[in-house]
Amino acid sequence: MRSMVMVGVLLGVSTASFAQLGGLNGPAVKPKQYIAYTAEEQAVQAGKKSTIELIFKVAEGYHVNSHTPKSELLIPTNLTLKPVQGVTTAVPEYPAGISYSFSFEPNEKLDVYTGTFKVKVPVVATAGTHTVEATLRYQACDHAACYPPKSLPIAIAVTAK
Amino acid sequence: MRRVLVLGVMVAGIALMLWAGWHNLRERKLAMQKARDSQVMLIPDKGGESAGDMPQMLGKVAPAFSLTDLEGKKVSLADYKGRPVLVNFWATWCGPCKVEMPWFEEFRKQYAAQGFEILGLTDDADAGKDLIAKVAGKAGVTYPILLTDGKVQTTYGGLEVLPMSFYVDRNGVIVEQTAGLGSKDQIEANIKKVIASGSTQAGGM
Repeated sequence: MRSMVMVGVLLGVSTASFAQLGGLNGPAVKPKQYIAYTAEEQAVQAGKKSTIELIFKVAEGYHVNSHTPKSELLIPTNLTLKPVQGVTTAVPEYPAGISYSFSFEPNEKLDVYTGTFKVKVPVVATAGTHTVEATLRYQACDHAACYPPKSLPIAIAVTAK
Repeated sequence: MRRVLVLGVMVAGIALMLWAGWHNLRERKLAMQKARDSQVMLIPDKGGESAGDMPQMLGKVAPAFSLTDLEGKKVSLADYKGRPVLVNFWATWCGPCKVEMPWFEEFRKQYAAQGFEILGLTDDADAGKDLIAKVAGKAGVTYPILLTDGKVQTTYGGLEVLPMSFYVDRNGVIVEQTAGLGSKDQIEANIKKVIASGSTQAGGM
């Protein structure tokens, strides 16, 4: 556990120092995210059609647009999977959003994710352990402000037996 | 002799299975570690309030910029030297931004005699002029809408929150900054403040 945290800290530090190169005398910019991915080992049957469930948690007090927001102007939550040998993935299945309105615009209904949401990905994997890399693109708001779109890179450990 | 051979094969087989199992476990652990590493780095900042994202620009001279408006005309902050200006960053996908834009338009007319002007800087310039014009038009905006170039956001502290507003007085100094949607009264108070600031025979040379 401790070594894992260390690696995380080291990665964080290197990212921060890298970001610092960008802004001259600005403070170190942290890569800020409003969604966290819960890394769970995905066990599937080798060669069989299976579905893996990815669990994402939206930080408390924030919401993100669902995959199908009600306006074309809004940026949908979208998962892109990188092709990797040994794992075939199909189009991800997104949950339905919940209805939400800003207090200052009670008649404008938005379709959002808040709290925990799950994205299902149909997969077929060959026997062995694979790491599928993916990116979740989303755009978050809180009760009074919005945050520029973010990309959350994730690594999914898939083990097929 | 034969018995020894069988025993040898069995031992070798068991050893191979143990190794395979250990190897498999190790690989899975590595994959999980890789997955968790990215997780550790990406857990959101707990103290993540809007105010925490606010760039520290108060009291500083407003960074200069020269951007194009929706007609393709160059507009610089320097063009408004000697006038109080509200520099407002917004985006087409930002709901709260579009709530305050009609208020801005109203106050712009109300305080026009004092030289007050508003510049709307579109964060998502890649949305395209047509869409930007449509969204701004729907909000009733007639003040200049400018397309950001990716650099102006950085000079204004990185822009991690929208809407973000900077109230620049006649001397070019940022006397107020706000992140997120405030009340209409608060916005008017800030406008009054920026008009009053540096007004003593101001503008300088």
